[in-house]
Amino acid sequence: MDKEKFEVLKDILFEDARKRNEELASKVNAIDEIISDREKLEPRIALILEDQVEFLEKNFPQLFGNAITASIRKQIKESQEEVVDALYPIMGKMVKKYIYRELALLSERIDRQLEKAFSWEGWVTRIKAWCGGVSEKEIIMKGLARPHLEEVFIIQQHTGLLIGSYSKNNTLDKDMIAGMLTAIKSFVKDAFRGGGQELETIEYENYKLVISNLRSFYVVLVFTGFMNAGFRSELDDMLVDFQKEVLEKYLANKEIFSKDQLTQLIKAQFDKLNDGEK
Amino acid sequence: MGKSKKVILLGNFGVGKTSLVRQYVFHQFSEEYMTTIGVRIDKKVVTINRDEVSMIIWDIAGESTHQKIPDSYKLGAHGIIYVIDVLRPSTYKSIEDEMISLQELLPNAPIVKVANKIDLLTEKERVEIVNNLPLNDYVLCSAKNGENVEKAFYKLAGKLI
Ligand SMILES: Nc1nc2c(ncn2[C@@H]2O[C@H](COP(=O)(O)OP(=O)(O)O)[C@@H](O)[C@H]2O)c(=O)[nH]1
Ligand SMILES: [Mg+2]
Repeated sequence: MDKEKFEVLKDILFEDARKRNEELASKVNAIDEIISDREKLEPRIALILEDQVEFLEKNFPQLFGNAITASIRKQIKESQEEVVDALYPIMGKMVKKYIYRELALLSERIDRQLEKAFSWEGWVTRIKAWCGGVSEKEIIMKGLARPHLEEVFIIQQHTGLLIGSYSKNNTLDKDMIAGMLTAIKSFVKDAFRGGGQELETIEYENYKLVISNLRSFYVVLVFTGFMNAGFRSELDDMLVDFQKEVLEKYLANKEIFSKDQLTQLIKAQFDKLNDGEK
Repeated sequence: MGKSKKVILLGNFGVGKTSLVRQYVFHQFSEEYMTTIGVRIDKKVVTINRDEVSMIIWDIAGESTHQKIPDSYKLGAHGIIYVIDVLRPSTYKSIEDEMISLQELLPNAPIVKVANKIDLLTEKERVEIVNNLPLNDYVLCSAKNGENVEKAFYKLAGKLI
């Protein structure tokens, strides 16, 4: 056989295979094009995925619900103490907060009631007249309306330097607390520019910090318990007195006042707030 | 209050301000405050010949060159520690302008300039780099090994009395 004839024979024998190869190649090309071209691929896959997602959404509870519930149940059963430990503080705080809030609301309501019925002074004198002394009711009402003063800080504006303080517990360094309070105050001012507005209260669980700005310094009173409008206005009056009677004198004669003397004056002034609560 | 002074740290991000304070004082407040409110306060009492100064030191997070930070940080400051990084010229290339505008804003506040991270330099490099810094009178410090850190704050305390 010569070469030419061999070629013809090869053509005849492999014709089919060649055709198939070509078909395959073009199919691969087409698929490749679809896969590498997001726009073409997406609609095809999206349809399938959508079906799957919809199916899962519809059937998730039946498919996995029991297994999940069982496993959670088992876990709780096996580690009851841990669960209680984890929940207890949260529940405790929630209950405490709830009670405080309810009491605050109640106290507001009583206040409003009283304001409507009598003036405070009239009420006190009437009670006194009736009972010849201070009634239990008055004490209860007053007690309800009174938060407890824990600490007082007198702080210079801007520099955050502590001018004086009064505190029952000596935990952190007071100078640093004064600095941090000032930083927080100015942070709020910088972050939420409200046209000369100032931070007035900070609440933390059952602690309430009342901030009063007096020209060159500010006063921070730290309370526990709840506070109603009546108490706030009493407090504002007291702060005005405090500025007049203590701070202005102090500023005028800084040299002759010792820090201890100032502390005594702060204590004398603000202890009045706690006196009412007995 | 007499001898309590507000001291602020200024200087570009990463020059070592926080590291200097960390080296100098024992923290009472967590450093988390830096990320939550952007500031942390520390305190150090220094005695200079019988005079006591409480330095209430303000450190701020992030970029702290003078132009970019809120006024409330600087207001009322009695003294300034201005920190540069000896290996990064970008941290001191405009120090002259910074000094001028700081003096305008806080005319009575002394400034101590700290050239930090000198532990990264050889003796020879020290001389070379320090001689070529704009302005002079730097305290050469390393917040890493503590070299001269005390001295820098002490120098400022002396000017605050
Ligand atoms: N080698 C060396 N590294 C330092 C020194 N001071 C600070 N650093 C490092 O520089 C980086 C930035 O420091 P940091 O105190 O956060 O800078 P800040 O942004 O100015 O407060 C940190 O990785 C520090 O470990 C120093 O004196 N020497
Ligand atoms: Mg820092």
